[in-house]
Amino acid sequence: MRDVYLAGAGQSDFGAFPDESYRSLFATGYRRARDSLAGDLSPGDVDEAFVGSLGVGGRQIGLSAPALLDHVGLGGTPATRVENACAAGGFALRHGVQAIRSGMADVVLAGGVEVMTDLGDAAGYWLGVSGETEYERVSGTTFAGVYAQMADAYLREHGVDREALSRVAAKNHRHGAANPKAHLDFECSVADAEDGPVVADPFTLYHCCPTTDGAAVAVLAAEEVVDDYADERVRVAASGAGTDAVGLFERDTYTAVPAARRAAEAAYDRAGLGPGDVDVAEVHDCFAVAELLACEDLGFAERGAAAELVADGTTELGGALPVNPSGGLKSKGHPIGATGVGQAVELFEQLTGRAGDRQVADPRVALAHNVGGSGGAATVHLFEREAAADGGSVPAGRRAGGGDAPDGAVADPAGGDPA
Amino acid sequence: VTRIAAAGAYAPRFRLPADAVADAWGAAPSGIESTAVPFADEDALTMAVAAARRALAAGDVDPADVEHLALATTTPPLEESDLTARLGAMLGVPDDAGRQSFGASTRAGTRALTAALDAAPDPGLVVAADCPRGEPHDERDHAAGAGAAAFLLAAEGPAAVADRAEHATPAPGTRFRRAGSDRVEGLGVTAYDRARFREAVAGAVDGLAAPVDVDAAAVQAPDGGLPYRVTDALGVDADAVAAHETVSELGDTAAASAPLSLVRALAAGEDALAVAFGSGAGADALLVETDGRVPARVDLGGEESVDYARALRLRGEVTADAPDGGGAYVSVPAWRRSLPGRYRPAAGRCPDCGALAFPPRGACGDCGSLAGFETVELPGTGTVETVTRIDEAGAPPEFVPQASRGGPFGVALVALDGPGGGSVSAPLQLTDGRAAAAGDRVRAVVRRAYVQQGLPRYGAKALPAGD
Repeated sequence: MRDVYLAGAGQSDFGAFPDESYRSLFATGYRRARDSLAGDLSPGDVDEAFVGSLGVGGRQIGLSAPALLDHVGLGGTPATRVENACAAGGFALRHGVQAIRSGMADVVLAGGVEVMTDLGDAAGYWLGVSGETEYERVSGTTFAGVYAQMADAYLREHGVDREALSRVAAKNHRHGAANPKAHLDFECSVADAEDGPVVADPFTLYHCCPTTDGAAVAVLAAEEVVDDYADERVRVAASGAGTDAVGLFERDTYTAVPAARRAAEAAYDRAGLGPGDVDVAEVHDCFAVAELLACEDLGFAERGAAAELVADGTTELGGALPVNPSGGLKSKGHPIGATGVGQAVELFEQLTGRAGDRQVADPRVALAHNVGGSGGAATVHLFEREAAADGGSVPAGRRAGGGDAPDGAVADPAGGDPA
Repeated sequence: VTRIAAAGAYAPRFRLPADAVADAWGAAPSGIESTAVPFADEDALTMAVAAARRALAAGDVDPADVEHLALATTTPPLEESDLTARLGAMLGVPDDAGRQSFGASTRAGTRALTAALDAAPDPGLVVAADCPRGEPHDERDHAAGAGAAAFLLAAEGPAAVADRAEHATPAPGTRFRRAGSDRVEGLGVTAYDRARFREAVAGAVDGLAAPVDVDAAAVQAPDGGLPYRVTDALGVDADAVAAHETVSELGDTAAASAPLSLVRALAAGEDALAVAFGSGAGADALLVETDGRVPARVDLGGEESVDYARALRLRGEVTADAPDGGGAYVSVPAWRRSLPGRYRPAAGRCPDCGALAFPPRGACGDCGSLAGFETVELPGTGTVETVTRIDEAGAPPEFVPQASRGGPFGVALVALDGPGGGSVSAPLQLTDGRAAAAGDRVRAVVRRAYVQQGLPRYGAKALPAGD
């Protein structure tokens, strides 16, 4: 099967935007994705589109993908809304990869969008729709509660203090504060996180991601055409996915996410890579414990040992394996359907040296981990920056971390601005 | 003759001391030391389930054998809707058992008992449950309590109603509740109210064939003083009234008032005169004779004292409503389909591999078989696997009213004990504001989950096993 490339990617700012619609947010994401390309994307070039969205209420749900494509001047393009809760974006990417690998499409838009902040208190009605509604929700939990049950089990099983959760929150707030597109622009200390108002014990407010408005769009291209759009080759090395029982209580374990483990295993196998090859990762930290589980499910740490990666700075920007340099869901924000594609946007910028103050030094392999619900579905995507055909690498000038690009690096294209 | 074989009584865990009412309003009703306050998810139906389960357990009767089920309450959670269908399903009473509902008067408890005696079931179950309320400034509200009493009737049993009589007299203006209102009120014509009360109860007792000679009197107690004002008319002394009264501890329990005292007297093995009054007005007098203690489970709670502000919150006087909206909506037909396991602890057993499944639907989680599940009843006990406490800020919108009233609540994943070994996990909310940690034992009770589209929805919640 032919290879698929991430030719470009862009996103709207993530945040609370009472004056934006889901159409206008998507349009911003699309425009920025197009601007990230080195070549021109003509309307007729796009063969297919997949848009991830849970469909939080209050707006168009049915046929929302055709409506969005029409809004950005791509009316007529085959377009489908993809719904897998918080993993909708990751699955939109996966469908895009499949469409290109199958030969049915050369260029695919994989996007995601969600508007969540205009419902006020009623937004809570939508935060539990992706659990086992008739049982988990009826017992009085939203996702904060279900992840809190996982956290209670995890902290007890491994003898870990809640402070481990607070360190995840503090790290991701630090990262997000350096991301101009992040929802939350403030830092949060470990003490702030510990002392915050309780949402669902052991979580305080600062252990929980916000509800967010936002959109993100990735442009996927087949190997035969990618050079028309990009002067750097970021290959989708693998798309892995897995599913599981939707209700936590129906699963074999409360202290791991088996769907994510399956997704990771499939992705590593397909790419011929392992956890040790990953240079930077965006993981689904909807609640602080989720980042610890992710690091273990992805093989970055043994079971029960992920907290050490945070404590010793491994996953901090500047560490050996930065996790969530964007700020993650915690700080960058979590516009449900857009989150998985937003991760790809961050990793595209990291791999192409456009990540500004949060640039990871010379990454080659990047991983995106996107989970739906409390683990009912998950995707893991591996992206690999290929050396340029002439033996070049990412232009040194684009790399905050310096790096030692060999002579003959390709010229810096005009699209360096990650606006 | 149909006899009383066993009995049960229930009252909520929470008590509002009369001193707290006096602090708030300057005075408290006479003869009341505290009133029982239902938790945020309790109502007449859930209290009825609790009392009835106790009567069934005390009598060691299988609910599947029950031939007649009667429910009496002046505070039904729905004014029109036959609650005995839900009550029966929650208890495991067969679909073809006779069912009767009584209300509209605080005499409803004794009305239900006499009607059930006439039906002569073997066995039958009569439950009176009530939680009256008035406007917060009203003395009737200051006396308002909560509780439930249940009687198991059968051909054999240690007690029997030896005689009964009733009396009615027009008494407009004594306690009443307007159509569409959940608050009792009265005109406060004290002498008139007392005269009508005396007239009705005296008339009923006068109708008994034999003269009364008992040491215990279970008398309707809208407050702590009224029963003692009519002892001469009843032919009993004050000690007989005081022996098993519950009003001083629970407050006015309306239709459950005389029944609760009667349960206590029967549990002590004493002959008793039960006298119930319903404004309007009418009264029942039942002379109950025993040949020994009636098996009974009587636990009137009261472990936790609440202040007046907390009582107002628990009753929902000052708390938030659910926001309007959609999402995570479980339709009523979907809810109805999921009742097995909700009203009564149940799971599925895979016919191919024997694994337990909850909820019992779809493919077996262990072997993948699509053969379907055999329904098995569970004991309703289990062990907490993991638990969180949901603060008001973290409660789903449907649970906002409950969280606003009852405060933060725990939600556990519980490994429910299987029948004869094994376990199956289910999420259960911890109620009564109780906490539990992983490893703790809990038991399932029926409580209200939430109210949507005007309909209260009931299901299983959990309490520490020792409660």
